[in-house]
Amino acid sequence: MKTRFDAIIIGGGILGVSTAYELAKAGMKNVCVLEKHYLASGSTGRCGGGFRQQWSTEANTRLAMDSVARLESIEEELGYKTEFFQGGYLILAHTEEEEKQFAANVEMQRRLGLNVEIVDPEEAGKIVPFLNKDLIRKATWCPKDGHINPFLLTQAYANAARRLGAEIHLWTNVTGIMKKSNTFFIMTENGDNYETPLLFNCAGGYSRTIGDMLNVEIPVDPYRHEILVTEPVERLWDPMVISFSVGLYARQEMSGGVVMGMGDPNEPVGTYVGSSMHFMYEMSKRFTKLFPKLDKLRIVRQWAGLYEMTADAQPILGPIDQIDSFIQACGFSGHGLMLAPAVSQLLAEMTVHGKSSEVIDSLNVKRLYELKDVVKEKSVV
Amino acid sequence: MTSLRIEAHPVLEFEKKKKVRFFFEGKEFEGFEGEPIAAALHAAGVKMLRRSPHKNRARGFFCAIGRCSSCIMEVDGEINTMTCITPLKEGMQVKMQKGHGEIKP
Repeated sequence: MKTRFDAIIIGGGILGVSTAYELAKAGMKNVCVLEKHYLASGSTGRCGGGFRQQWSTEANTRLAMDSVARLESIEEELGYKTEFFQGGYLILAHTEEEEKQFAANVEMQRRLGLNVEIVDPEEAGKIVPFLNKDLIRKATWCPKDGHINPFLLTQAYANAARRLGAEIHLWTNVTGIMKKSNTFFIMTENGDNYETPLLFNCAGGYSRTIGDMLNVEIPVDPYRHEILVTEPVERLWDPMVISFSVGLYARQEMSGGVVMGMGDPNEPVGTYVGSSMHFMYEMSKRFTKLFPKLDKLRIVRQWAGLYEMTADAQPILGPIDQIDSFIQACGFSGHGLMLAPAVSQLLAEMTVHGKSSEVIDSLNVKRLYELKDVVKEKSVV
Repeated sequence: MTSLRIEAHPVLEFEKKKKVRFFFEGKEFEGFEGEPIAAALHAAGVKMLRRSPHKNRARGFFCAIGRCSSCIMEVDGEINTMTCITPLKEGMQVKMQKGHGEIKP
């Protein structure tokens, strides 16, 4: 088995495999992904599967717009069906404060060239017929957002990366890393030791642990985020619906089940991903408040994944000052899937062709050490 | 056609219940109050309870204990009702559901 690579990527989620693919595509073929369990076994496979361009910070909006542009042709490029569906995103404003925030967001997003509009409750009710219109004041609507199957997208990237010569080693848990004269020595639970001059940290909720192995702080904290799916029914609506005040998102999968999740401010830091009764009750209450006519939908399954949060809810990208050639792509704060297509491309261009990028520079980890000029992303459930 | 209803059983006793009318796909049927809807339909000779959403294949009575979802139908407007465990009532509107079942706004 080969253990020396030009680049090694820790993490077989969407970030890891898309980075491997982009690196191979840019010409760096001797690449390997190390994954603790199986592909998309972490946050990627547990996520809601939406992609949106409606953000409150410019960096996120730009990345998301590039990502969606890329996703539009990804099935063709990778030769794999991914259930990519641009059903739109409807974001609900319940309070005056939100209305103002959304107006500012929309102005910024439009300046960047995004097709997004503010709609009144009447129109929102036409887009999502079951919505309780009395609860909302306004909504923002972008028809080019949508959702995708995270497993299929990960598999699509993985297959394409393998075709280009990249390797993916599953069931390979990294237990220690040492850097000596420009080479990273990576120890794994299986007993195989890997060597590489270039290391990527795409470990999602475990990014801090990977940083700890090299004695460098990666300020990413994992929080459990629960989610459930209902029985399949015929098509109810196309878009993903989000409400930050009620604190939920809901979308209907292509197979008919409604996937919904919510944020819980009382969640402690940790990598526990068990399911709770509390979530099922609270989620049902919130969902039926917004969609009173769907109170008969039965829940068939619930699970949880990790949100890898940073202080400003924006990712950590690019190199770090303390250690050369240790590239970060983590801390996506629950939005890795939708940003991955653009981020992986930028990272590959940066490492292979030396092309610098404004977005990557602005999302360097330094900002979180100093906590100066940090603008928090507000559009997070 | 002879009815599939068991009239006499060597061990079990069946209490004679009240006869009620119900509707399947708009047509009037008769059954006993409180027996499973699927049993009443079966006794009346209706064996196909729905069609599978993807391949449109006939689906009927299968597990009979509310597990397998083979018998799900639209009952009084509520989709995905397991008719094998739902008791029959007077005047029930039972329909075959379309695909996975449609919820109307």
